[in-house]
Order: sequence, then structure tokens, then C-alpha cells
Amino acid sequence: MTVREAVPRQAGPPETAPLLRVRNLVKEFTVSGGGLLGRPGRFRAVDDVSLEVRKGETLALVGESGSGKSTTARLIARLIDATSGTIEFDGREVHALTGKALHAFRSDVQMVFQDPYSSLNPKHTVERIVTAPLAYQRRPIPGGARAFAAALLERVGLNPDHATRYPAQFSGGQAQRIGIARALAVAPKLIIADEAVSALDVSVQAQVINLLRRLQDEEGFSYLFIAHDLAVVRQIATRVAVMNGGRIVEAGDRDAVFGSPQDAYTRKLLAAVPRIRPEWDAARKRNEQARREREEAEL
Amino acid sequence: MTDALLHVRGLTVGFPAAHGPNEVVKSLDFDLERGGALGIVGESGSGKSMTSLAIMGLLPKGAKRTGSVTFDGTELTALPERAMRSYRGDRIAMIFQDPLSSLNPYYTVGTQIMEAYRSHRTGVTRRQARNVAIAAMERVHISDAAKRVDHYPHQFSGGMRQRVMIAMTLSMEPELIIADEPTTALDVTVQAQILDLLAEIRADTGAGLILITHDLAVVSEVTDHIVVMRDGDLVEQGPAERIFTDPQEPYTRMLLDAVPRIDDEIGLLRTMHTEEGR
Repeated sequence: MTVREAVPRQAGPPETAPLLRVRNLVKEFTVSGGGLLGRPGRFRAVDDVSLEVRKGETLALVGESGSGKSTTARLIARLIDATSGTIEFDGREVHALTGKALHAFRSDVQMVFQDPYSSLNPKHTVERIVTAPLAYQRRPIPGGARAFAAALLERVGLNPDHATRYPAQFSGGQAQRIGIARALAVAPKLIIADEAVSALDVSVQAQVINLLRRLQDEEGFSYLFIAHDLAVVRQIATRVAVMNGGRIVEAGDRDAVFGSPQDAYTRKLLAAVPRIRPEWDAARKRNEQARREREEAEL
Repeated sequence: MTDALLHVRGLTVGFPAAHGPNEVVKSLDFDLERGGALGIVGESGSGKSMTSLAIMGLLPKGAKRTGSVTFDGTELTALPERAMRSYRGDRIAMIFQDPLSSLNPYYTVGTQIMEAYRSHRTGVTRRQARNVAIAAMERVHISDAAKRVDHYPHQFSGGMRQRVMIAMTLSMEPELIIADEPTTALDVTVQAQILDLLAEIRADTGAGLILITHDLAVVSEVTDHIVVMRDGDLVEQGPAERIFTDPQEPYTRMLLDAVPRIDDEIGLLRTMHTEEGR
């Protein structure tokens, strides 16, 4: 099998260097007593992964449980160390960053997690939560914490007067917006969203997807969007990389991967997604159009 | 009354609260035909799971159930617990989201299927029960069932554990299977296999199915009649095709708009005008 890399073919001159460039990334874990005679074995969670994320785009890393997609995200965020391979962010080798440069990296790359409640300190007010990245960076808060937090909440569609409340006082979708506001506080270049909309009800999920797209349009940052839900990915990705068993089995522009998948596993994955019949959707649109016309005629 | 297998009228579930009872299921009416497949869809807090527990008489302590649930002509709400036990797990079977928490890790899957079977069938020998367990596991396509019957739950993958749970319900030859988010915890390729299996079982045994889920695409593929719930209310019900092609209620229309499609044009997902963030 030829593994096509999640690296876009260079269309123009290389002046548009990617924001993130990952080469031959490997992560092995030691499994105790897994092998014969109880010897510790090596488990390769991420196996020779290469990918790029360009400025302002969304690369979706999709796969099922155990595919290695979340481990890849954690390696890129430097939450764990790689066994081998390189991660370049904004032209610098992430592994080699220390001191101020590492500090800057920690601010440039922000994460949004699946469970908003467990990633927000329940004892802190929203104001303290969303200004925490700045406090950690020992950076002054522009305009003061109160005004800064209120402006952030406004941007993610929350009531700015709620900055003094605690996470438990918000719904799941609202809590996820707080997590997004916190990521925005330090004007990141890359947001790694790890199953960020998976736990949300479908109506709330749609709103958060719309929010994520709007913020990217406004700010121009990039997303590394980790997800198992292909229908969600279709709505948000610029490019898609499919992972299976620690490897990227296929990658390319969204419409190419969804429209003419080349790899057998990608095809199996796409075929397994439950679908509302397109002819039912088409009939619904016709019926809705007719309903609107009827309502307008009655007015 | 039609020849419905299950006939639900005015089903209400309330919990005592300071300001009068807090109703989480409010006066539901619906029927399930013999051999039919009913989907109950809703978001979190809609009361869909409480509805299934109310049918089974498995509500948590303190919950008060009123209304009528008739199964094959018998009023279940009037049955004493002892009599209800001859329906529950026997003629009406239930499959839950998390097979791991429904299986005891200390016993082999075979022992658990056999125990369940023998608790409902008197005068069955261990050998007979073991054969029933193996046959049931073969029917849900667990290969090498004669050997796997002696394995423990942790030796099975998530999808295989859900097959074991389905085998356990099948061993009783139920007339109604209630599946509450049976594939939510599973990977999408495994979900497709389990949904195929449920369809196959319906075709083979003629059992009725109530599928409870948050996933509209899943109900659209599996069920022929749909009940939409929100905040304990039945918002709308009807044949699947009617619900998906001509939804009457604004909430149903909003839900259908919000579902991301894998083969639809890309655009702003339509949501309720009321901004959830506020």
C-alpha cells in the first residue's frame, strides 16, 4: 500500500511555508507484560505520520478509536514527547524550544477539548478562566480583566455580563464556548480541537460549528480538527487526513477524500456513516419551499 | 384498538419536587405494531430514556408513573413486580448503551447468558442452557462461539460485547426489543454492523423494535415510525418518510436542519433563531 502523505502538493513558490509541518512522527509506548513470557512490549500508537497545516486552513484528522489521532494531537501540542520524527511550527523545531520560545509556542497553539466541564476549573469564575492563559504568560491584560473577559464572551456569543459566573452555571454548549473563548484570549495561530463538538446535542453542535467557522474567518488562525464524525468533518475541513492503526492511510482536499476516496479503509469508513436519504432531504426542501409560499400568500 | 403489540396512552413520569411534581415525561401516546420498528429521538433531557424505563417498569426510586402501557393486551402498569418479571427480559428485552457496565466482569459471558436464560425458564439443565447460549452467540455472528462462550467480558471488543448483550436478549426469543442508544459508544464501522444485525434479527424473528437515540440518521435507516421528543413532550410522530420529508413542528424542522450531512452542500448549518449561547 502506498501511503499518501497529508502534505499538499506545492502549487506555487515555497514562500507560503506551512504553519505546521510534521515529518515521520513516531510515538511508541511500553506495554508491560504484553509480549510472550510477560516481557514488556512496544506499542506504536503513531507510526510515521507526516502532515502539514497551512495558515488559515482546517486540517481534519479523522479516525476511529485507537487510530492514533488524539496521540498525534498531543504530540503536536508538546504535551508528550515523540519517539522520533520532527514537528516544525512557524519554521522552528518544536522539540528544541526552550524558555521564551517555548512560552510563545504554548500561547500560539491552544487546545479545545471534548468535555468542556472537565477542562474548566469549577472553582474559578469565567473571567478568571478566560484570562488564565494571559496570567500564565505573565502578560498584561489589555483594558483590564473585566472588560477583556466581557469582550471575549461577546465574541463567542455568550452574555458578557456572565463573566462572574462559574462553569456549572452554564449548559454544555455554553461551557464549550467558554473553552473556545479561553483559547482565543492569547490570539493563537493554531487551535487544536480534539473532538470539540462530539459531546454536544445536534442543535448545539451546529451552533458551535458555525461559531468555529466564523471565528476562523475573522481571525485567520488554523485548526487541527480531531474528530471521528465524518459528517461534522465534511462541514468544517479544508483538507482531511484519515488515520487507521497509527498511520495516515489517505489525505487530500476535503472534496477529493469524500468524493473519490482512494484507500479501502476510507471507503469502508465513509460507507458506514448513517445517512438520511438524499431524496427525503430533497423532498423536505420542496415541501418547505411550498410551505413558505403558502404562508406568504396568506399574509 | 388496533392489533398493536405495544399501546401507550397518557404515559407520564414525574419526580416529587418542592413546587409540585416535576414531570420528565408528559402524557405520551404511541403504538408499536407487531414486528414494527419505532424510533424515539430527542436531545439530552428530552425524556426518551425515561420513557423506555417507564415501559419496562424500571424507573428510579421516587419516580411516579401514570398512564397506560398495554403489551399484547396486558396492562403492564397494573402488574405486581413479580408478574412484571415474567415479561421483563423475557418477552420484552432491553439493550443498553454500555455493554461493559451491563455485564459482570467476574463471570464468563456464557455463564451470564445461561443464568439469564435459566432465571426465566424453569427445568432447564445447565447443558441445555449452555447450548442455547452457544446458539445465540452464533446467531449474532460471534465466530467460534463454542469456545468464546467461556471467555470473560474483557476478552471481547466493544462491538463484540454489544453482540453478547444482543445474544443474551435473543436467547429468550423476545417479542419486543427496546434498544437505548445501543451504538452510541461504538465506532462508526462497528455501529453499522450492529444496526445490520438488529435489522437481520427483526426479519428473522418478527420481534418489534423500539430504538431510542439522539441520532436522526440512525433512526432514518432503521425504523419505520418515529416519535420526536423534547423536554418530556411528544413533539411530533408519524411514519419515518413523513417526518423526514414533511416535518410539521418547528422543533423537528430545526433538528433536521442541524444534522450535518455527509453528502450535502456545505453552508452555514441552520439553527434555531434563539441563540443558545445567551
